[in-house]
Parts: sequence; structure tokens; C-alpha cells
Amino acid sequence: MVRALPIATALACCLVNSPAGAEESSGPSLLFNAYGTLGAVYSSEDHADFVGNLFQDEGAGYSATVSHKVDSRLGLQLTGRLNSRLSAVVQVVVEQEADGDYGPRVEWANVQYEFTPDFTLRVGRMVQPSFMVSEYRKVGFATPWVRPPEEVYRLIPVTNFDGVEISYRSHFGGYTNTLRGTYGRTEPDWADGEVSGEDILTLSNTLEWGDLSLVASLGRYDLNVEAFDPLFDGVELFGAPGRAIARRYRVDEEPVALFSVGGRYDPGHWFLMAEWAGTSTEALLGDLRGAYATAGYRAGAWTPFVSVARAWAANEQATPQLPTGAVPPQLEGVVQALNSELEDLFNLPIKQRSLSLGARWDFASSMALTLQYDYIDLRSDSSGVFTNRQPGFQPGGSASVVSLSFDFVY
Amino acid sequence: MKGPARILLAAWLALSATVGAVPCRAEVVVVVSRENPLSALPRDHLEDLFLGRSDRFPDGEPAVPLDLSERLPPYSAFYERYLGRTPPQMRAHWSRLIFTGRGRPPRSLASSREMADAVAADPRALGYLPAAEIDDRLRVVVIE
Repeated sequence: MVRALPIATALACCLVNSPAGAEESSGPSLLFNAYGTLGAVYSSEDHADFVGNLFQDEGAGYSATVSHKVDSRLGLQLTGRLNSRLSAVVQVVVEQEADGDYGPRVEWANVQYEFTPDFTLRVGRMVQPSFMVSEYRKVGFATPWVRPPEEVYRLIPVTNFDGVEISYRSHFGGYTNTLRGTYGRTEPDWADGEVSGEDILTLSNTLEWGDLSLVASLGRYDLNVEAFDPLFDGVELFGAPGRAIARRYRVDEEPVALFSVGGRYDPGHWFLMAEWAGTSTEALLGDLRGAYATAGYRAGAWTPFVSVARAWAANEQATPQLPTGAVPPQLEGVVQALNSELEDLFNLPIKQRSLSLGARWDFASSMALTLQYDYIDLRSDSSGVFTNRQPGFQPGGSASVVSLSFDFVY
Repeated sequence: MKGPARILLAAWLALSATVGAVPCRAEVVVVVSRENPLSALPRDHLEDLFLGRSDRFPDGEPAVPLDLSERLPPYSAFYERYLGRTPPQMRAHWSRLIFTGRGRPPRSLASSREMADAVAADPRALGYLPAAEIDDRLRVVVIE
């Protein structure tokens, strides 16, 4: 799985004057690793697309009967170690981007300094440890599902940020505790326009004890979504009610809080994992919650699993509407158009339940096939995870999604 | 007890004795160099060392765990017996650490002989071997 490249030897000669017989484990090294997923997804809802995250342009259902774009990706990583304290990692991921085409993006690019093996500082690009599997959510091989449950993982659709991380690990009794703090900013690509997160602060704690692992995290950031500005600029033109709506819901440096708790118990022949998470803001996304529980059983190379998940709003927000009666007849069309855009916007949060059944087959070393069936039940007013909605799409309906993924690591 | 039942019981006892005896000869033991004073290690500490959660022996001295190639039977025997984990579980575990830049698996050795030599040569090394293949350069560590 891990092979040192010959170049490591060259580096070793150039970069340090290593005394003869210096231990290999702390000398300079360069490692290449890769992971990838080849996925096919079918969705029974053909008036909209089932997508793997908020930023995907195309998915299964409307754009394609069977889509390879939802889960397929390739990750390439170089890890360089200069000495026992200083190392660097660069990871490039090729996957579907906001424009619908495959393209490479730098997911990780940071330098890590170990004050001690248990106390480390990272500077550069890294992934926010918001939720239990956030940091490796793209590594299909590392998780039991085809993709992490969107009911939780869509709450923070952005995976990486640029900034710093401090990590402190402590050992007591049989426990290992890892406390991480991160600070930074991010600006993901989104087809609908500019979006950014500023002053992202996350505090995450992982407690490991034998087969049990518990994670809790707290965070905050300022969200800017310039893509929504034209709508609110329009709404604002319509008197006091319009100005009130724009003031209340415009997403401009809007503080968002996030929190999560999760756990995994994995004694070997079976496992159980569950997570509960939420985000909270005064702006239009409101108070969102998501949770899931997954149980699996390992029988040789086979791991059948079952998962239930739910996404909901803790405070149901009524969609604000401009009054239609108060404007001259020739402007009524404009007001209706703005109101319908407001409705679309307030439909962004997913509200749904899902039941997933699947099986993973570790058919070779470092390779696995996973087949997963999801039954998704949308709440009455919600479009759930479905985008590119066409006339004929019914919010509040249900859909079946079948996914087959081939995952590997190198 | 009637005849057939007695025969069945005797057969069962004989069979379980055989089954019980085979793993004894092929049993995998945890080893360090003779120069390492370590004689016993708590199971959860062994687990932490081989999962990349810790890199110190209980006395605070640095520890370097070593692996046998996944293709060799003692690999899965070691992980199943001492850590209660299967090879696919270990691969998933290491891919979680590798692709977050948070660790890499122990150095992997191609044979029991290489493992014996590597452990004998480094007082910080911690390895495992079939009980029949240890020699007097190595010390068996009791896992508590």
C-alpha cells in the first residue's frame, strides 16, 4: 500500500548529512499514495438529479439514467518527510466540479511540524474536522458506505480550508484523547456564484478507548453568499416588507454555529456508528439538524450494513413573501417571480429521511466493491438532496437510489 | 450416558483437543530485542502502538512497531488475536490516517527471518512472530 520512491534515497543524500546507520524511520522520505472510486448511481426520480454534494452540477435521474459523476473520483497524494519533526502533504482530487466537468483541485497542501509526536502544528490547506469522517469523506475505501450520509455531511458541504491547525494528543490509562483546533477561511467553487466562509474556527475532540471512539466538535464561521445578492437587491426595492426580508435573510458575513457528536464502536465482527450534528444561523438557512446510525456485520470479506438517517429543521422557517396586492398590476409578475425565487432559496436545506441497505465486498487487498440501496422519503415541502428540478418534480415525494462503487487505495 | 452419545462426546473432546493444539504450535507471539528490558505489555498499549495512536513504550522510551507482510498468515493471526481486527479493517484504518496526513503503517517485512533480524537489531523495535521461529536474540513479551 505504501512504497517509498527511489527519489527518497536521492533526497536523503542531498538534504541531510545522515550519520551511517541512521534509522530509516526518521530520515527524509517521499511517499506516493492514491485512492479512488469508480461509481455508478441510478435514481428512480427522473425529474431531478440525485447528487453527492451541494456543489455538483449533474447527477443521476434527470441528467443521466445511470450517472458516474456522483461518486467517481481519484485522489493522488505525496507525503514528504524531511526529518522526525517536519513533514508535508499534498493531495490532489480529480472529481466532478461545479461546472459538471471533471477537474483537479488541491484538497490538502500543508506543512506539519511536530513539537513532540503528540503535539503538532499544521499550516496550509487542510480539511476541517467538523464531523466524525469529514477528513476522509472522499476516501470511499475508508468508510462502509458508498458515500457518507448526506443528511449530516451536507450541513458543511465544503471540505477544505486554508489556515492553521493545532493538534494535541494525550494518553491516560487506556485512553487516547486528541484535541484539535483549526482556524482559517475557504472559497469553494459554486456554479451559482461566489460563496465564502471566513473566520472558520473549529474545536474537535476525539476520545479513543480500545474499540470505542467518541467525537465531539464545535465550530463557527462567517458565511457570505454573493450569489443570493441579486435576489435580495430586487426584493429590497419593494417597500418596507422587502427591506425587512433583505435585512433579515441576506447572507453577508452571517455567523453560523456548528456542532456535532458522534461515536463508533467496532469490536471486529460487527460495528456501530452514529452521529448527530447541526448548524444554526439567523440567516436563511436557519437551524438545521442531521443524524444517522449505521450498523454492519463482517463475515469474511463481506460486510452487509444498514443505515438510517434523517435531516430536519429545528425551527421551521416560513418562506417570507412579498405582498402581491400592494403593487401596480404591471409589477405583479416581477413580485411573483421574486417570490418563487425566495421559495426555491428556502428549499435549499434538505429535510428527508432515508433508509439504506448495502454490502461491501473486500474482494482483494486494498480493493472493495460496495452495493447500496437508499430509500429516500422527502418531507412535504422539501426537495431533499435533489437538484436540477424539472417541471413535474414533486417536493415531498420519495425515491429509490441504487449505487455501485469500486474503491481502491494504493 | 448411552453408547452413541459417549462416542460423540469422546470424538468432540478429541477434536477440540486437536483444534486447540494446532494454534499453540503456530501461535504468534509479540517480541522485542534481548536488549529491550520490556517483559510485559498491557493489551491496550499494544493496540495503541499498532494502530499508530502511540509511539512510546510504557516507560516512555520510543517504540517502533514492525509488521509482517499482509500476505503471510502470521499477519492476520496477530491482528485477529491481539487487536481483534481483520486485515480489511486494518487497511481501512490506515487509509484513514494516510489520506489525512496523520500517520503511516509500520514498516512491513517480507519474511519471519527479516522480522527476527530487524527486531534483534533495534532495541526500540516491537514485532511478532510464530512461536516456533523465535531465537535467543529475541524476548517474548507477555501481553496482559
